[in-house]
Amino acid sequence: MGEFDIVWRSRAIFWNASWVTIQVFILSLILATAVGLGLALMRMSGFRILRWLSATFVWVFRGMPALVILFFSFFWLGNNLGWSPFQSAIIGLGASSAAYKAEIIRAGLLAVDRGQYEASEALGFTKAHYMRRIIIPQGIRVMIPNYISNSTLLLKSTSLAAVIGLTELTGRSRQLANSTFQPIEILTAAGVIYLVATSFLTLSQGYFERHFELKR
Amino acid sequence: MDLGFIADIVPEILEGLPTTIGLFLWSMLLSTVGGLLLALARMSAVGALRWFAVAYGWLIRGIPLLLIMFYVFFALPEFSRTFLLSPFWTAVAALSLWTAAYQAEAIRSGILAVDNGQYEAAEALGMTRAHYMRRIVLPQSVRIIVPPFMGNAINTLKQTSLATVITVPEMALITTRIISREFNALEPLLALAIIYLALTTLLVFGQAGLERAFRLKV
Repeated sequence: MGEFDIVWRSRAIFWNASWVTIQVFILSLILATAVGLGLALMRMSGFRILRWLSATFVWVFRGMPALVILFFSFFWLGNNLGWSPFQSAIIGLGASSAAYKAEIIRAGLLAVDRGQYEASEALGFTKAHYMRRIIIPQGIRVMIPNYISNSTLLLKSTSLAAVIGLTELTGRSRQLANSTFQPIEILTAAGVIYLVATSFLTLSQGYFERHFELKR
Repeated sequence: MDLGFIADIVPEILEGLPTTIGLFLWSMLLSTVGGLLLALARMSAVGALRWFAVAYGWLIRGIPLLLIMFYVFFALPEFSRTFLLSPFWTAVAALSLWTAAYQAEAIRSGILAVDNGQYEAAEALGMTRAHYMRRIVLPQSVRIIVPPFMGNAINTLKQTSLATVITVPEMALITTRIISREFNALEPLLALAIIYLALTTLLVFGQAGLERAFRLKV
């Protein structure tokens, strides 16, 4: 111990790598939320084909490791479409997380009282209109705890991008640990950065719950 | 897409199946014991034990499994040579440390779900605390523990694929070798995906079976 000044001297590297991690996290979170919402609405639609497609997507993408989905996105799609590891990571992690987001969003929408659907219909709202203005705003409140804890899982999963050669926090720390011969200090520092980030996300749950609280 | 090619490479990928299953079973065994101890520590009357269990859960659940694996592989042997493990046992150690944190939560929530009034009844009947835990609480909490426990098991099965990064020859590593040998990614990945889907689906059915087996018989 006592050799932790290597961490301070490498601060620029840690900062750059953390920034890559943050970008991958935010972009794949946006993708996963959009796709997950689409899947949840498909699952609740009146068309059997859409319901079936959504259920199959969720089964397949939750049934295999995120790493395998990332391999599809990098070795196959990325290779054929000329994506960078950064792009492949966002698509792969986003698709993997979307399957979980779909279930969380669906559970939130189903938790909205049946009477709200019936009342909206009785008032002559179209389905698109009442989903957007009545059901989703109420469902969001129910979703928040699961949505946040699932997002911390996604934040940790961004480390998988190291396997496809992206120099995000985990991959860069591993390289640095090898080149400096100080794995304890370097990997501990990386762990602390992740702990701060995941704890911050967990604490943000309270903020979002207050933000979406019922205002009477 | 070439279906014949998929059929050709499935057996080659399956050569990694015993390693994948080995990683999974060892990690499940060790993490179940560890998770039970952590859950009991969390509910113990000793403050230091409770504090340790909470800190452990926060630490492990706040860090990516991949980083834990690198830590066990690169950093722990620097503390002492006794931690110098083969890649396989490094992966088992990392997966067990990681899964134990999640199993502790599953087990604790199951134990807490048993109504406290039963403790008073058991005490009135003259049962000791250990007897009460073993004969009254555990049989009832098992039913509640099964779904989250099996959910964690499915996650652990999928996460065994991370052992690839420390060169454990499980199915994902064999598949990446085939990809670089054949200059072809789609068929090997489809074959791998089908095998994982079969395994996770099997575990989902296993969960349904366990839930039936532990259902209340009235």
